[in-house]
Amino acid sequence: MTRRIARLFGRGGDLNPRNLRLGVWAWLIQRISGFILVLFVIAHVIAISQANLALTGPLFTMLDGLRNPFWAVDRTVLVIDLLMLGMIAFHGMNGIRIVMFDIGLGVGLRSHKVIFWSLIAIGIVASGIVIFYGLPLLGGS
Amino acid sequence: MTASGPSSGNVWLWLFQRITAVLLIVVLGLHLWLVNFGQASASLRAVLGVILLGLALFHGLNGVRTVILDFNVGIQGRKLVTVILLLLGAASLLFGMHGLWPLIVGG
Repeated sequence: MTRRIARLFGRGGDLNPRNLRLGVWAWLIQRISGFILVLFVIAHVIAISQANLALTGPLFTMLDGLRNPFWAVDRTVLVIDLLMLGMIAFHGMNGIRIVMFDIGLGVGLRSHKVIFWSLIAIGIVASGIVIFYGLPLLGGS
Repeated sequence: MTASGPSSGNVWLWLFQRITAVLLIVVLGLHLWLVNFGQASASLRAVLGVILLGLALFHGLNGVRTVILDFNVGIQGRKLVTVILLLLGAASLLFGMHGLWPLIVGG
């Protein structure tokens, strides 16, 4: 195991940051963000369920109680939620690129890079919209 | 062939991973829109919640399985990983349904 890791990250290794090109970074970040997002989904379900069941009312009456201005929301939770939003945006947009690649759309090396950065731009805009309209709610998830 | 492609396991799981990926982008977009603007009936929110729960759990846990199997855990390891993730998924699904229950019966 240790030897395998050393081979992967050592000089000339597949995962040595010096040898990583854009596509490998995308692959690596896709996997890491995916793994973290699973933990987030489960934590999210547990948190929402507990709060919801304690109130015994519909889910969104509970969410109404969390409409605080963002400066009043717990900063740690806010930072975690912003990180999650970024990961969701990246994972989703890069996922579109992967599906496009798998079905053979825009497979040229140059066009694929253009598609990647265009999707990242869309992800940033979408995140901006969620932050602009949803920041008061983010701390409550 | 990509590392996450059909070579790493069942081709149906690979296909469902792509299908749930595309559906998740749509349903997650709706979910975020509803949380922010909340203009839908309780029954629609309940249906959306159950669909999102199932899609996210399948896509997430199947993705974790793919990542773990890429480390060559062997046939016994593969079975163990599959069983553990299935149990985790079933438990999370039940817990999520439990949380959504007031919305489901109230809608």
